[in-house]
Amino acid sequence: MIGLARVGVLALVAGLFAATGATDTGRLPADQLEKAARNDSISIPTPGELFAALGKAGKTNWSGQYRGPIPVTYRNRAQIALNLGGLIADGFIAVEAKDSQQVKNIGSDIIKLAKALGVSENLLGRGNSINEFAENNEWDTLQEELEATQNEVKSSMQSHADQDLVILVTLGGWIRGTQVVTAAIMQNHDERSAKVLRQPALVHFMQSKINEISPELRKEPLVKDVSEQLGEIEKLVSFPAGKAPNANEVRKVNEAVGKVMAEIESKELPK
Amino acid sequence: MKRWLPILLSIFVLGASIAVRAETDAEVRARKDALDVAGAFSNDGFKIRDGHWCGVLKPHDHTLVAVNLYAGNQYWFSAAAVEPAKKIAVSLYDETGKQVTTESYNNEEKAAAGFSPANSGQYFVSVDLVEGEGGSFCLVYSYK
Repeated sequence: MIGLARVGVLALVAGLFAATGATDTGRLPADQLEKAARNDSISIPTPGELFAALGKAGKTNWSGQYRGPIPVTYRNRAQIALNLGGLIADGFIAVEAKDSQQVKNIGSDIIKLAKALGVSENLLGRGNSINEFAENNEWDTLQEELEATQNEVKSSMQSHADQDLVILVTLGGWIRGTQVVTAAIMQNHDERSAKVLRQPALVHFMQSKINEISPELRKEPLVKDVSEQLGEIEKLVSFPAGKAPNANEVRKVNEAVGKVMAEIESKELPK
Repeated sequence: MKRWLPILLSIFVLGASIAVRAETDAEVRARKDALDVAGAFSNDGFKIRDGHWCGVLKPHDHTLVAVNLYAGNQYWFSAAAVEPAKKIAVSLYDETGKQVTTESYNNEEKAAAGFSPANSGQYFVSVDLVEGEGGSFCLVYSYK
């Protein structure tokens, strides 16, 4: 009861402040912005956030964005990490489509890939929860569970001295998410939805994190290729503030991320 | 003296580990309080991100955290600090460093800022210590 009263008061106060609106205006110097704290878990949005923004502009055919099953028998750890991120993004797509069977299939593949990386046994419990929530059509909870699964995979990687793979999981998710969003926008272009594609700082941050991983991993052909292409993608998503990309610009982003995604999925690693 | 050195070192290490644990506990409490604030917005359909930023606020200083937001979404950035911090504020700046207009909630050591970006891109959340001594804080955010 006390909790409810507190929530009520909080909402009321928030509402009052909302009505009065603005705060004082000021400007921060560039050197302070440069020094701002950044980390994977708060500075990089989840695929779910991206899809939520796209969904505001109109109805999206989420099930039309499914892809065929991907192999879960990769041997290269970097490739597994990138595909794991992509699969988690697929999970978010299935949640948006409210497709419980698809969520369960993807959940099972996520666990298989995660096990191939030797991450925590606790993930098996996550897999069971995903199935249970999918059966009960608990879509909001499923979104939270997918994000928690992704974070658990990452923290397990960190505790197993595999922290270099963490950014690859994030990157795989962003690439797959962007592939889906650009494809959806191409099917039904409108300025409001196209605006979600402007993310130069995000791509720059992921690129900088890749530059921090071990030289051995960075030299791996797949990681090297993805990193090089990310530089090009950064240019493609650097639209001026306030300008929505036109259909041609969206197509270019889609082609670029599609090319990277095909390489990530391929059983034939680049040489 | 040689006999005492390991004992002194042990006491120092023990003291240091207790200090580290105390700070961790403070961050955990701050995170719980920040999640309490964010929880209020969940009633309005906001989903809380399973990520956070914890740190230490210093007097007359602020902590800036970079976030990447999508046009079309609505966001609430919720922060909480623990004693000796007494009052904090949360504000938001765009990629050029210009402060943006936010909805705000302030309740002493808890505060939040609500924002709906017109443009996607990088923004900076500033958590400021308004009153009290420096202390641990935690920032979480939610979106819909």
